Amino acid sequence: MKTTKTIFQDGNHKWVAIVRDPEKQNYLIDTNEYLVTHGSQGILLDPGGAEIFPAVFSALASEFDPGALTAVFASHQDPDICSSLALWLEFNPKMRCYVSWLWGSFIPHFGGTQQTFVNLPDEGADIPLEGLTLKAVPAHYLHSSGNFHLYDSVAKVLFSGDVGAALLPPGEDGLFVTNFDAHIRHAEGFHKRWMGSNEAKRRWCERVAQMEIDMLCPQHGAIYQGADVQRFISWFDELQVGVCGG
Amino acid sequence: MNPGTALAVSGPAGNTPQAGADLLRIVRINEEIKTVVRVAFKINIMALNAIFLAKRAGTAALGFGVLSNELRIFSQDLRESMDVLTSLIHGCVNDVSLVLQDSRHTRLLRQAVAQSSDQRLNRVLMAKDAENERHVEHLGSLRKQLGRALDDAARLVELGGVLAKSAKIEAAYGQTFAAALTQVSADFDGVVEEIRSSLESLRRSTFFRGN
Repeated sequence: MKTTKTIFQDGNHKWVAIVRDPEKQNYLIDTNEYLVTHGSQGILLDPGGAEIFPAVFSALASEFDPGALTAVFASHQDPDICSSLALWLEFNPKMRCYVSWLWGSFIPHFGGTQQTFVNLPDEGADIPLEGLTLKAVPAHYLHSSGNFHLYDSVAKVLFSGDVGAALLPPGEDGLFVTNFDAHIRHAEGFHKRWMGSNEAKRRWCERVAQMEIDMLCPQHGAIYQGADVQRFISWFDELQVGVCGG
Repeated sequence: MNPGTALAVSGPAGNTPQAGADLLRIVRINEEIKTVVRVAFKINIMALNAIFLAKRAGTAALGFGVLSNELRIFSQDLRESMDVLTSLIHGCVNDVSLVLQDSRHTRLLRQAVAQSSDQRLNRVLMAKDAENERHVEHLGSLRKQLGRALDDAARLVELGGVLAKSAKIEAAYGQTFAAALTQVSADFDGVVEEIRSSLESLRRSTFFRGN
């Protein structure tokens, strides 16, 4: 089973990271899921692949009533992001899925009906959560052509999808980045190959540099906090992406 | 409900192996149906030619002409019969796909139930099991319908065989056209045998031994 770690809490406003399943098969890439709660409602960010649904569901249920999940947010369309959608909808058919309009007719192949999907326009949108307003921040071409991150200006947390992701070796898989220089080596190859556009990367860096961010939370790897957030943005800004060795 | 069916669907392994094998069997059945459809088209053309030949032969081939016309109707009936089979096959593909999907989802939900203390998930699993059972039962019903449709097609082919053999007899009365009519009737007999063989192969498919 995955473990949960509350990374932000102010009353009933919480960010919970659902991470690191020791029983996960190695052929599946490791993913981080994030639960944001406010009041009595919750939204699950990048709910994960179908094969890890049992681990995510049981971990989430230990922290929060899964029946109170009103929505999932899918940063993009990949199977490790949201192929579990059909299973979450088995549990709660009224759950909504926020996703780029670009993928609104693709992701239903994983499950859901026309009523399930809330298509996000390219410029982004506000996502309400019982009095809290979360912001879908454009991150197109990083790596998907229709890609969003999610910003919580109250918690000062940015969920950054695949940006900031690192493929961590065993023994170096702590939840937070503690040694930026050592950590970023595990992120470099991933970003060079997966991020396809230097122009999109530059625009993203400019956009998020203006935000107040205490934690930058990727879907793979470890969370950047404090000064490491700006350190990461600067590092990413200088990195040449869209590079393939072949 | 067949208790074996419930066990297969709700057991930890689901009934994926059978559903996977069923898909393969369905593909083979569909290929055989396509063969019969091609042959039915061939009979239609042959019957048309035979009608013209009988007309040229005149009164000596009146009976042959009637039988050729009947064979043409037979080829059209056969085509319709294959359309029914094709439609049922498509339904079976749909149901087998649902059973395959059910199997995966049920496995994952069962794992989630085992790891979580949330009783509502158990109810979701039970509802899913009931839905799976409905899919398996519907597939079983389609299987039976397909079997019956194949029996109907086999009976139709028996009629085609009788018509072809009668055409052989009538050809003997064709006087100067007798040799040509005999050749045509032998061709009819050959293609009807081809269809009979395809249908027998279909009826032997292990697909019909499933739930």
